[in-house]
Amino acid sequence: MSNWPAETKYIGHSTARIDAPAKLTGKARYASDIQAEGWLYGMILRSKWPAAKILSVNLDKARQIPGVKAAVVARDGSFTIRFYGEEIAAVAGTSKQVCLDALRAIEVQAEVRHEFVVNENEARKENAAQVWAGSPNVPATPHVRENGSVDTAFPECAAVIKGFYTTAVQIHHPMETHGNTVSWTDDGVTAWASTQGVSSVRDGLAGALQLDHSQVRVITEYMGGGFGSKLGAGVEGALAAKLSKAAKAPVRLMLTRFDQSLAVGNRPSSFQKIKMGATADGMLHAFEMENYGTAGIGAGGDSGGGSGSADIPAPYIYKVPNTRVKQSAVAVNAGASRAFRAPGNPPASFGMESAMDDLAVKLGMDPLELRLKNDPSPIRQREYKLGAEKFGWKEKYQKPGSSSGVVKTGIGCAGAAWPAGGASRNTQGEAQINPDGSIEFRLGVQDIGTGTKTVIAVVAAEMLGLKPEQITVRVGDTRFPPGPGSGGSTTCGSVSATVFDVCTNALQQLQTQSGLADARGENWFAACKKLGVNPLVVHGKWQPGLTADHACGVQFAEVEVDTETGLVTVKKILGVHDCGLIVNQVTLESQINGGIIMGMGYALYEERVMDDLSGVVLNPNFETYKLPGIADVPDIEIVLINMPERGVIGIGEPATVPTAGAIANAVANAIGVRVCSLPITPAKILAALGKVPPATA
Amino acid sequence: MNAFTYATAHSPASARQLVADKGAYLAGGNDLLGLLKEYLVSADILVNIKSLPGLDKIERGEKFWTIGSLVTVAQIEDHAEIKETFPGLHEAASEVASQQIRNVATVGGNLAQHSRCWYFRHRDTQCLKKDGDLCYALNGENRYHSLFTGNTCISPVVSSLATIFASLDATAIVLRDGQETRQNMAELYQRAWENPLAHNSLKNGDLILRVEIPTTRSRSAYLQVSDRHAFDWALVSCAAAADVVDGKLKSPRVALGSISPVPHQVETANRFLDGKVLDNATATQAADMILKDAKPLEHNAYKVPLAHALIRRTLLKLKGDA
Repeated sequence: MSNWPAETKYIGHSTARIDAPAKLTGKARYASDIQAEGWLYGMILRSKWPAAKILSVNLDKARQIPGVKAAVVARDGSFTIRFYGEEIAAVAGTSKQVCLDALRAIEVQAEVRHEFVVNENEARKENAAQVWAGSPNVPATPHVRENGSVDTAFPECAAVIKGFYTTAVQIHHPMETHGNTVSWTDDGVTAWASTQGVSSVRDGLAGALQLDHSQVRVITEYMGGGFGSKLGAGVEGALAAKLSKAAKAPVRLMLTRFDQSLAVGNRPSSFQKIKMGATADGMLHAFEMENYGTAGIGAGGDSGGGSGSADIPAPYIYKVPNTRVKQSAVAVNAGASRAFRAPGNPPASFGMESAMDDLAVKLGMDPLELRLKNDPSPIRQREYKLGAEKFGWKEKYQKPGSSSGVVKTGIGCAGAAWPAGGASRNTQGEAQINPDGSIEFRLGVQDIGTGTKTVIAVVAAEMLGLKPEQITVRVGDTRFPPGPGSGGSTTCGSVSATVFDVCTNALQQLQTQSGLADARGENWFAACKKLGVNPLVVHGKWQPGLTADHACGVQFAEVEVDTETGLVTVKKILGVHDCGLIVNQVTLESQINGGIIMGMGYALYEERVMDDLSGVVLNPNFETYKLPGIADVPDIEIVLINMPERGVIGIGEPATVPTAGAIANAVANAIGVRVCSLPITPAKILAALGKVPPATA
Repeated sequence: MNAFTYATAHSPASARQLVADKGAYLAGGNDLLGLLKEYLVSADILVNIKSLPGLDKIERGEKFWTIGSLVTVAQIEDHAEIKETFPGLHEAASEVASQQIRNVATVGGNLAQHSRCWYFRHRDTQCLKKDGDLCYALNGENRYHSLFTGNTCISPVVSSLATIFASLDATAIVLRDGQETRQNMAELYQRAWENPLAHNSLKNGDLILRVEIPTTRSRSAYLQVSDRHAFDWALVSCAAAADVVDGKLKSPRVALGSISPVPHQVETANRFLDGKVLDNATATQAADMILKDAKPLEHNAYKVPLAHALIRRTLLKLKGDA
């Protein structure tokens, strides 16, 4: 049992975001809104070649342009370019146009290399251009994991399927682009950063600039999304600092949408060759997978939580007694991957859940039944049963392709796991209680749009017997007690337990100092008054018994597919999710909505398209890098399982994991054939239906 | 973007004079500003034509309607009588981009817009359309490209209005060298069929003044399919218009967008449909004829069945309930 109160007024209920008015009125200042005294625009010159050796960079002409206050190189001396868009230099000036003119005036001498490769299948070939000279694009030995005996197990299976399931590189496109305003003075560096980790940005900047940690302050009052890609300062952060030092003025360097498409990380692709077998009663018996994907020129960047490779968990949420999994990452001349909301999980879920449905077809079983037979998680078992009832699975389920008419309907489901989602045990916080009864919480964590500030207010109000609006919350400053980077769905747990501890300590001290037996609720102001003139400052930190990990979750999808045009319309998504003790329902549901919509984009629209011949990213904008718009978003229903006994668990990541698999299965159920490749476009639907003629050229 | 001067014109003649040989007309600016910012187009002067008198009107006539080139796409979409008289035009207008863009996008700008080919639009590819040596799309990423072309550039026309105007046999009145010239949609785009550098037949300094739509076709329809439901370019668009007399088609015209550098029209199919009673078989035959000479590439062959379906559906929509 967790230590959370059993009866609650705010925890588990819904409190609107405490900063909603500030956000809606424009009072909230994001990194891209900061206008420090005397600030300049900053911009980056990027390579127009996918591979080159930069011999020299001459900034003289750029510096002569009126309004240009500084120009710096990204790296000293001669250096190698390995992808289109890699940073070469940066400028700071008094207007955007001045900077654009300056970028065009920079003279770059380069030895352009025509040997490069941007396609992972080409890069795997023996004679492919090497991304890293002297090192093969694919490591000689894949990562191999083996259990039981696959080779003897397959002949024992009653049904065996083979599939080749592929997913595209997904680009990080938070609504607020990456960037910072950096001010470098003799007193040190202040960075207003759009980041998921004020502490990691401080440490990263201090390292890059060779300063003491104490000389760098990072502030993130508001930020517009990161999804794993904003845990470090980035090349753009260090360049902004260098520009600020050179210009002796604050520099705001926010990336453009074009920049964003090239160099801030992405989710690696996956090419999953799966063979899977079950016994006649539907029990999974053998699983074999060979998978490769590209993490671009490498993995991780300086994201701190990088995905590290293109590997994915397999056979994902299922236990198969006999498995063999071989995986490798393929280097290509493209921007590196970074952690991306539940790294590895959405592609793993799509591949495995597709294979599950294909196997169900082969076994002649209802795919939900096959999951109930094989899913080892009692929580997901419960979620599937609850969801099936809500969704009307039994009534809606038809054999694949048996829906009549030109526009066919289909349903599918898929499951999620998120092994992390616990908490950072080093999280600290403090509260200042003033004699007038006002109270301010200060945590060196940041609210990346998930509602962290509101969670802090909700927990504090609950513990102190106050209202959430009576709690002042300050986050996003390295001068506050250290908090974790917002990654791995750990923030909610980290701050909830920390605030719990701060409040426990506060009440103890307040009761001691005031002599009141219970300082909560109606006694609060009387107790505070007894503090006299000095505010009470109390600290606290994460404590055991309040948080947990391993959230599950299942989703059901209903789609319509026009078999003549290939257009897919998602009609409904039902998400059944657990995340331990629900802290604030409305912001929790908001996380799940966002996860589902992002999963829809992954399923149907998003794909980095690169050109083999020129090596450029062809869709560096929202015109052709397609994200779901509101017209695409279906009816989303969320069912939550509150499990207070487990403590607090984050939801950000599991919410997006199963969507693509559920949609892909619904599409296959509708049309009777599988589109094995994400995104599922009209072109691929028509091809799967055998309607596309051969090319003539 | 490069520096330019700016002037507002108050008559077509002065607009023409101001734009001289290196300027550009500015109305809604949706396309032009993007082209300037990406350094794809350069102009020494932008001539604001939004104040040209009389070009923002929709005028009804017995034989034809006149739509001024400064009429916004939203004006067309919201025009109740257009919806009644030219339902296909209403449908095409309502599919253009987003509400915000439709509010400022003009008829002239929609017709004169440049290619959306992602190689053409990319700042660092020097493709055929930008006077480079090759069409990258031909053997590259050509999922959004043409099934038909008269030259070696395969970027398609994407104007929704051009597609529906072609089916309605509308005429653009273009001010050229001080004279009003008349060009139907085939003529307005003919040069893009022949010349990879061209987006349409307009010459430098040409100014679209208005579009005349004959009222001879009482039925019209427009359909498009995109990758998604949110605003997006058409993968294929199709427009059809005809009069229906005693259940038989009269003067039918079908035009498709996004599959050719010009609105794709096949006269033999139009003649075939003339006098026919519409049914699925007839529509299928017409679709076969319209797509007979398609040359699908590696990634755009899906447009053939998609176009086929849209032709059938658009034609059958002409039957209507009326």
